[in-house]
Amino acid sequence: MMTATTVPAKHRRKKRQDIVFPIVNTIILCVLMFVTLYPVINTVAYSFNDGTDALRGNIGLWPRVFSTKSYVSILQDSAVYEAAWISASKTVIITLLNIFWTGMLAFALSRREYVLRRFITVVMVLTMYINAGLIPNYLLITRTLHLGKTYWVYIIPTMFSCFNMIVIRTYIGGLPDALVESARIDGAGDIRVYWQIIFPLCMPVMATVALFVAVGSWNSWFDTYLYCGGQKHLHSLQYLLKMKLATTQASANAAKTSADALKSSTMTTPITIRCAITVISTVPILVVYPFLQKYFVTGMALGSVKG
Amino acid sequence: MRNNKEKAIAIHKKSVWRRLGDQWQLMLMSVPMLLYVFLFNYAPMWGWLTAFQDYKPKLGLTGSPWVSMKNFAWLFSRQDFLNSIRNTLAMSIINLVLGTITSILLAVLLNEVRNRTFKRTVQTVTYLPHFLSMVIVVGMAQNIFASNGAVNNLLLSLGLVKEPVFFLGEGKYFWGLVGVINVWKEVGWNTIIYISAMTAIDPCLHEAAAIDGAGRFQRILNVTLPGIKSTFVILLIMNIGHLMEAGFEMQYLLGSSVVIDWSQTIDVFVMNYGISKQQYGVATAAGLFKSVVAIILLIGANTISKKLDEDTLI
Amino acid sequence: MRKLLVALLALALMVTLCAGAIAENLEPITLTVFRGDPGDQPAEDNKIYKLIEEKFGVTFEFEFLAGDLDETLGLKIANEDYPDLFDGGNSADLIIQNGALRNLLDFINPEDTPRLWAHIEPQKARLIEQDEEGNDVLYIIPNYGLADGEQIANYVSGPAFFIQKQVLAWDNYPQIHTLNEYFDLIERFIAANPTDENGAPYIGFDILCEDWRHFCLINPVQHLMGRPNDGEVLIDVSTDDFKTETFIDKPYAKGYYKKLNEEFHKGLISKDTFVMNYDQYIAQLSSGTVLGMFDQYWDFSGTAEAALRTAGMDKNTYVALGLVYDPEYVDGKEIEEHYLNGSLPNVRRGFGISVNCDDEKAKRIVDMWEEMLSDEWQLIFNWGIEGEDYYVDENGRLNMTEEQYKNTQDNTWKLHNKANAFFESSPKKQGWIMDGQFEGNAWEVGNQPEIVLGQMVDYDKDFLSHYGYSKWADFVNPPIELAPYGEAWQIDYSPVDIEHTDFLAVQDQRLPEIIMADESEFDAKWDAFVEEIAPSASVFESFMQDAVLKEAQKVLGNE
Repeated sequence: MMTATTVPAKHRRKKRQDIVFPIVNTIILCVLMFVTLYPVINTVAYSFNDGTDALRGNIGLWPRVFSTKSYVSILQDSAVYEAAWISASKTVIITLLNIFWTGMLAFALSRREYVLRRFITVVMVLTMYINAGLIPNYLLITRTLHLGKTYWVYIIPTMFSCFNMIVIRTYIGGLPDALVESARIDGAGDIRVYWQIIFPLCMPVMATVALFVAVGSWNSWFDTYLYCGGQKHLHSLQYLLKMKLATTQASANAAKTSADALKSSTMTTPITIRCAITVISTVPILVVYPFLQKYFVTGMALGSVKG
Repeated sequence: MRNNKEKAIAIHKKSVWRRLGDQWQLMLMSVPMLLYVFLFNYAPMWGWLTAFQDYKPKLGLTGSPWVSMKNFAWLFSRQDFLNSIRNTLAMSIINLVLGTITSILLAVLLNEVRNRTFKRTVQTVTYLPHFLSMVIVVGMAQNIFASNGAVNNLLLSLGLVKEPVFFLGEGKYFWGLVGVINVWKEVGWNTIIYISAMTAIDPCLHEAAAIDGAGRFQRILNVTLPGIKSTFVILLIMNIGHLMEAGFEMQYLLGSSVVIDWSQTIDVFVMNYGISKQQYGVATAAGLFKSVVAIILLIGANTISKKLDEDTLI
Repeated sequence: MRKLLVALLALALMVTLCAGAIAENLEPITLTVFRGDPGDQPAEDNKIYKLIEEKFGVTFEFEFLAGDLDETLGLKIANEDYPDLFDGGNSADLIIQNGALRNLLDFINPEDTPRLWAHIEPQKARLIEQDEEGNDVLYIIPNYGLADGEQIANYVSGPAFFIQKQVLAWDNYPQIHTLNEYFDLIERFIAANPTDENGAPYIGFDILCEDWRHFCLINPVQHLMGRPNDGEVLIDVSTDDFKTETFIDKPYAKGYYKKLNEEFHKGLISKDTFVMNYDQYIAQLSSGTVLGMFDQYWDFSGTAEAALRTAGMDKNTYVALGLVYDPEYVDGKEIEEHYLNGSLPNVRRGFGISVNCDDEKAKRIVDMWEEMLSDEWQLIFNWGIEGEDYYVDENGRLNMTEEQYKNTQDNTWKLHNKANAFFESSPKKQGWIMDGQFEGNAWEVGNQPEIVLGQMVDYDKDFLSHYGYSKWADFVNPPIELAPYGEAWQIDYSPVDIEHTDFLAVQDQRLPEIIMADESEFDAKWDAFVEEIAPSASVFESFMQDAVLKEAQKVLGNE
């Protein structure tokens, strides 16, 4: 707009560039959106397609032979409900615990006068780069702590993430120091200052971190695989999905061809089942993240560079 | 900043122990996590000793025989381990380069969009894949890149290939595939940081350039890109510390025995030898090797960033 | 008839009541079970498991394999997360070596468990091993292959080249005995019928390469050379020292892969076959579009073949052919085919009792097996409940109505009415019933002559009649005598684990490349493969030579 009014008419060439560029740009971005969404919509299309027909492939953005059989069969499977419960409950617990501990730690490390600040920060940051590795961690959790085969293995080892701590700390660092100082003068201790003054102001960054932690927990399958593969009651939704990816249960597939399914001449196949579980397990995230966009964008911008 | 620091020093001229005593509330808020990190991140490093053992679960860390450097010698005599070092480095460099270029490019394009609703829509859409689990992403990739999948159909209908390309079953495509999937998953997400750097650029610079008669491209080249240079440098240096992290989940889920020469990263190698073959010592040795290289890279990156007068990483 | 039915129902009820009485004094327990194969959870109202619960006070919690077997077992070992009943599938050696299983000989002896003892006694030499301290040990009672009496071979249950029946029918029921004849027929069929009636393109030949099922890729050569399944080695049984060699790196193997390479370029083999997992493979077979493959019948019979049957696609079901090399492949030599072997105990395959079970629990499991080896229970597992699932005719022959037989082919029905997830890995009787009320009948439904003939669908009857055969096994030679060493694939490779893994890995990786290679590069790629595999092959070969001799000695020494 600015250019149009201030640039003299003789610069016609540039003006054309200013007209062409937005159009080209819009087209590029639309193509990008299409490419981003295609696999997702394609998965949804498969999940609503007839199973046998889906084996022929070549389904695009819309089911070829519409069927809700895959969803019906999943929603009849008690294992899916159990797994959804495990996934949801561990996600909520981990998120709350992370917010609780990481927030307090971030506050403490944001206090410049804190004697242990530098030491603890270095110890924490190093964890982002150095890792004991799969086998030592595995032995610690199973042999030493005996967390394997229990629900706690989802909770206890994932209570802290340094990256999230930095995000919160940076946000707190951006709040006016006067807030803390004046509260101090009123005689409030650090814990009270944090919970009564700082924490309520940190809601945006807490929402961001909560989203990160929740998504991480909701999406994890490897912990189930490593520690609870044999404990059916502890399987998570993503683990079920991973198992469907690995062995899409041929026998189940064959079983579903039986009388009942044949009557309506449609049946479920591994591919449609897999796509349906994918959709079911993704919907919660899809519903949540656009509303938190404003927050996590700020949070990411804060955290990444200041690390 | 300096004022604050001086103030802090001025207020607390008491002894360290005394000050610690005063700060018991801060300690209460931070020490539990410190202990936690020691337990879950540092204590397992004792397990690195197994790298020098012929570790048997039955005998434990104390009972297993010591073999000094034998595990390492064996590792480096294995072609599959050497391959996995190569794959790790190659894939993380591809991810770094491809990821950085595409996200800067997208950030620039987004920055030029004037319609806020459209901009927000593009952002929301491109953030989406970041939130999908790797299991889901790999499942989708297997559909899309199959012989009868969307990509092959497109290539065939455009006449670019005569017969379907075997993306999932030929090693030579694997790195590229991982690169492309990573870009798809993270490109939107990675723009966040560049866009925030771009919004920090003083709008006067753009206006001044426009008045001087600079077109879009010139403004991008001369104002936008220089404006995000420091962000770019910091991120690049930080990522050097992560060069040994080419990822585990994607290679593990997407790989198969046919492409293992090109798909196996060190992490997958550790999983394979440690869990499937019960060669705990060898697997730990491989993990330890990775950690040592990562530490060297981290120290290197930190030194570079000090030289460049940026904030140090630690 | 109705009277008979009522009587039978009453009998069944009585059995149930008696069973209930026994269970009363046993504390109910739940056994955790791992099966080293993919499978389906039985239905909660499954009638056989209910019966087991009533009689033995035992319920099961099943876990089936999902994903890679070795990795799954590795995690269990590292976690010491052992189920009570542990079937390690094809990697059972791994769990035995890591001390996960209890020695069953602590509980099995002629006095306490006469049936179990009688069951294993004839094959003692093959079954009982010595541990490091020289004690006799038996970790697993074979799930299959401890047959009574004469071997029944109605069909090929193991390896063969399979072909869809419609292909043979289309060419007017030809005799197919060699590799070239086989592929020539498929080529001609596909040229004439590129797609099925729904427009889905036919796939000429599938090769499953996933994990341990890569035998579909790497095993065929020995069979083409005229030997039954010895795993990855070819053994010359005519020599005293059982000359053992790896075959995959020999010149005679090249011909097979050259043939596959040619067929690949003719479009008979799809690239996707090399990255397919087992389930995708089964799904593909189930769709009826795969004309041929090398596989073992059990690998797809319960899944794909059953699905095809249920869908009424009888013409798409498979016949096992015993192919050999044409003389041109082997310097003009005529090879005789031996796909069927003498019956063989499935050593180290089936349930073991894990060390997680204390003496009491282990004893209880063994006692349950002992009881289950009774005729009554074997009939329940194999045939079901009399009157419901089968009937006994006036001559004492076991038989099924058409409806009843159809049920046994229906996987969903089986989840409600069969205890296969448990029974498949448990000790069982096979072959002919040797005594008692039902003497002369077959234990297994699929082996009962009345079933084989009576329940055959019209398509199959018609199909066999064109050949003048009475059973599917007539397509191949009758079984040969089992070699003293058994079958070499059973040998525990773990002492040369790393080399063996390398040996297989090179094949898994290179053979698909070789099959897909440009014709001009084929020779070079083959030579490179032979060179690459040589180090691991030579270690494996000499290990196998010793092991085969040792196994043979165990049996020969006993005689």
